[in-house]
Amino acid sequence: MPEKLLQVRDLYLYFRTRRGVVQAVDGIDLDMNRDDALAVIGESGCGKTSLIRAILRLLPRNVHTYKGSVVLLDTDVMKLSEERFRTTVRWRQMSMVAQAAMNALNPVIRVGDQVCEPLVVHQGLSKRDALAQAAEVFHLVGVPADFLNRYAFELSGGMRQRAILAMALVTRPDLVVLDEPTSALDMLTQANIMNVLKGIKRDLQQSFIFITHDVATTSELSDRGVVMYAGHIVEISSAEQFYLNPFHPYSQKLMASVPTLKVRKELEFIPGQPPSLLNPPTGCRFAERCHRRFDMCDQEPPMFNLEDGRQVKCWLYK
Amino acid sequence: MANEAAVPGLAGSAQPKGRWAALFPALLKFGRYTLMRGIALLITVCIGVYISIWIANMGGYVDNIRIAGITEGVALSFRGNPLYQDMAPSERQRLMQVEIERQIRRQGLDQPFLGRSFGYLFDALSLNLGRAEVMSSDTGSKNVRTILLERLPVTLVLFGTANLLTFFLGVFVALFLSRRYGSIADRASVALAPLSAAPPWFYGIFLILIFASVLGILPYGGMIDAPVPETGLGRALSMMKHMILPLVAWLIATLPIGVYTRRTFFLVYSSEDYVELAKAKGLKSNTIERRYILRPTLPTIVTQFAFTLIFAWQGAIITETVFSWPGLGRLLFQAIGTFETPVIIGSVVIFAYLLAISVFLLDIIYALIDPRVKLGAEGAQ
Amino acid sequence: MKKLFKRLISTLKFYPTISASSAIILALVGISLYAVISIPYGRATELWRGAEEIWSDTPRFAAPGWTNVFRSEKLPETFTIYSSEENSVTTVKETSTEVITEYTFDYQYNTFPQELNLFFDAQYDKRQPYAAVTWIRPDGEEVAMYKGALRPSQRYPISQDSNLNKDTPAIPPHITLLAVSDTIGVGDVEPEVLKGEYTLRVRILTFEDGSSVSSRFTLYGDVFGLAGTDHRRRDLTIAILWGTPIALLFGLCATIGTSILTFIIAAVGTWYGGWLDAAIQRITEVNLMLPFLPILIMVGTFYSRSIWVMLAVIIALGIFTAAIKGYRAMFLQVKSAPYIEAARAYGASNMRIVFRYMIPRILPVLVPTFVTGIPAFVFLEASLSVLGLGDPVLPTWGKVLSEAYAGGALYRGYYYWVLEPAIMLMITGLAFSMLGFALDRIFNPRLRGI
Repeated sequence: MPEKLLQVRDLYLYFRTRRGVVQAVDGIDLDMNRDDALAVIGESGCGKTSLIRAILRLLPRNVHTYKGSVVLLDTDVMKLSEERFRTTVRWRQMSMVAQAAMNALNPVIRVGDQVCEPLVVHQGLSKRDALAQAAEVFHLVGVPADFLNRYAFELSGGMRQRAILAMALVTRPDLVVLDEPTSALDMLTQANIMNVLKGIKRDLQQSFIFITHDVATTSELSDRGVVMYAGHIVEISSAEQFYLNPFHPYSQKLMASVPTLKVRKELEFIPGQPPSLLNPPTGCRFAERCHRRFDMCDQEPPMFNLEDGRQVKCWLYK
Repeated sequence: MANEAAVPGLAGSAQPKGRWAALFPALLKFGRYTLMRGIALLITVCIGVYISIWIANMGGYVDNIRIAGITEGVALSFRGNPLYQDMAPSERQRLMQVEIERQIRRQGLDQPFLGRSFGYLFDALSLNLGRAEVMSSDTGSKNVRTILLERLPVTLVLFGTANLLTFFLGVFVALFLSRRYGSIADRASVALAPLSAAPPWFYGIFLILIFASVLGILPYGGMIDAPVPETGLGRALSMMKHMILPLVAWLIATLPIGVYTRRTFFLVYSSEDYVELAKAKGLKSNTIERRYILRPTLPTIVTQFAFTLIFAWQGAIITETVFSWPGLGRLLFQAIGTFETPVIIGSVVIFAYLLAISVFLLDIIYALIDPRVKLGAEGAQ
Repeated sequence: MKKLFKRLISTLKFYPTISASSAIILALVGISLYAVISIPYGRATELWRGAEEIWSDTPRFAAPGWTNVFRSEKLPETFTIYSSEENSVTTVKETSTEVITEYTFDYQYNTFPQELNLFFDAQYDKRQPYAAVTWIRPDGEEVAMYKGALRPSQRYPISQDSNLNKDTPAIPPHITLLAVSDTIGVGDVEPEVLKGEYTLRVRILTFEDGSSVSSRFTLYGDVFGLAGTDHRRRDLTIAILWGTPIALLFGLCATIGTSILTFIIAAVGTWYGGWLDAAIQRITEVNLMLPFLPILIMVGTFYSRSIWVMLAVIIALGIFTAAIKGYRAMFLQVKSAPYIEAARAYGASNMRIVFRYMIPRILPVLVPTFVTGIPAFVFLEASLSVLGLGDPVLPTWGKVLSEAYAGGALYRGYYYWVLEPAIMLMITGLAFSMLGFALDRIFNPRLRGI
């Protein structure tokens, strides 16, 4: 049984737009172990959603470049044909929970039918067996089983989010990717969903990747954190390392901008804007806004592997 | 966990187990919906026909129908009556005139129109449409209702086919195109859309020019060859041959915009989140098209189709004229030319009913396929 | 300002159809202006009514003159020669004045003309002038024609003078006068044209001082003018030219009347809500079910065919259309926007909110509907004309099309008669339609993401 669940190397995803080529994912290397919960953190437009799409092969029409290697367990899924990818990888090995689940359910098909669709399509189960399994998963996420017969519009926001989560879990995939699972919800529901996710991670040993721009809420769930900035990964570290002692100047600024309950601190913000991905600057992409910039930053730093298992893309840690 | 409850209105009622037990209240709601729509449509037909009667009587023409009927009736009764045979013609004329005026007064035709208009309305709605002045049906009857109902199936054959063709072809091609945005076929559909600016009869004239006049391979018009073929199969084939040009003209005029609107519609709806998710779930392209793009948009498509049908039936009038297709439209055209008032008004009534029935049927279909209507949830439609 | 201009240019480059259709529309507007300026309205309707004398110099069913370019065997052209000093010789005698006018022309066509006519315009007090007409063929043969007194305005219909074809009454004079002698009245032989120079000699005697006669000779061929002629000899250029401003105006008025009114009513109804909104919805539903075209037909048959009446009815029926529901949905969204609430807070009146805030917000959506409406109404007018309900006075494309169709143009091969109005209609329809679609892609918010 391979140790590593996911190995991404040199992943590129560029989009063609009216104003030029957007280099959304610009050479990403990433590793992930089984049973890990990986948080991908970054501000809007840094490319984290594009990274997920690149891994899941959910590409829009205007793709300019898409290359690299994504090894899931022992197969490089990038090399698979579209049809093989559809039948072997989609939802069997990787599933997804979309951002803003309000609209993620088909309004004219019953919820239960949608949830057990992957079971019927990929595992060939009969409708009855699939529905039974769906009922189990519903139980896991805390939704009463008779909601299987309902339509999407009959469910409240929180219920819908759980139903979507159930749908992602129903085939017990190797990897579940969640795109901003809590940003569209109110505080109470957020907490509920986080609890559900924690329970699933603990009881099912499910591996997660989840994207967030809200550093605070993921602190309880993630084992490792990946910080993205302007299409690059700038820091990979364990959750503890990241929250207590971030290394990359950007990570430091991020943490400094989060209000904490117990420690009184001055909230900081980062002046300026992230660079446009149309024409990214040469050299370190954060250099312009960095408070610790020096002359070496005119060249793009490589990813440095540190002794404590961290990886930082910054000349300060050479 | 208050915020976890389902939408109010459904949470309170007992949750029936399984789907079939839930069917009965759904049927009730459906029945009530159908009834409401039916009544609403009937009211609109009444209003529509009533307005038409007023317009028709702008020149007193509706009353003229009645007066003509009276005059003829009186003349007939006088002719057959031995009492008047020996009278001098002038004397007989005078007596006839007296009788006619008496009848006019008796029927209240010298009173203001308003009171009688409701009587006419009732007659029109029950298809009691009087007698034609000049025209007659193929069976020789002058009963307007017979004349009209004789022609109705002829119109339905051609334009029922035409509308159904446009609808299904339109949806099918649009669905196909929606997954191939930017392809040549897609760009062609956008470029060709303006063709629908011209009505079917316009293209009909061109087609007749090319295929009947210049090339001579298809008929100029009409429904069937003369002399009529002997066998049933021969007749059917002949009719189909005559249907080719009208159908092609119809398709050229209606298909481009139909495909364009629906393709754009599907494109907009295929960027919905649940379509994305369907793709991520690894469903087949076909399945996604059917269940995630077509199925959710079907209610709206059906409503749009209802609107196009309304205009389509009216477009039939001139198309039939150009192709000499012996249906309702051509009948109306002939009636205009001969000022055949009863037939004109009768046609308007039939058209009103035709529109209402089309819309009603589509409303029922809409109710069947939109679960929000089926279950009577708030905010439906 | 400059930035706006640059945006405009780049938009035009991205949507080539906008430039193309705009060019066509500008051309149409140009034609309209030319038509209205060169032939004033009164004159146009007078010409189109076509009283006897107006179209006396044009043939029936003549194809356009330029079609001869594409023919190997040219069809005879129509021409008129007027009496003037160049072709007349005046001799003053004792009791009379003699004027000999010679109309000479070279006829090289393979087919015969449709008709020949000689018109006289005589001025005198009491004594009528005298005319003697002689036809001189290329082979020298002279044929004696009319000899007699002249009335003030007289037409000598050469083609109907039975004296000229006594021997072959079945063959009209305009053939016998121009045919090779052997080919006339000989069994199955087709009459052949005697090509060469023909002269029509007109000898006029006037007997009073101040008395004079002017004349003109017309040969009616099979081609005439820019657009040909119809069954009533009318030059179709008038209809084609004048049809343009009529079509454009009609389409414009109808679409303005309907779309703008519909838009405003939707806005007002949505803003006030309550019974007004409900009433508007109900009226719309009833109006949808009214059979539009049959009602137009009834109005046209029983009331009036005037284009203004039709326009009024079309607008009246076209206000409460299904589009109201679409606009209503959009206005509902705007109604709940925060800035509307802010406007109410500062005390803006209802009308102000509707017209200053709500309408401008959704107005862009109106533009494509507006543009695409124009061809729809232009064709509606054509449809009414084809049904025989066209305006009796105006020369419109639809009128020409309906007359062509009723006159059996398709069966008799007068394709130009059908094609000219059809092509004008098509060009107009396509131009506005293309423009409308391109604008729709720009202004429709739902299509932005695509």
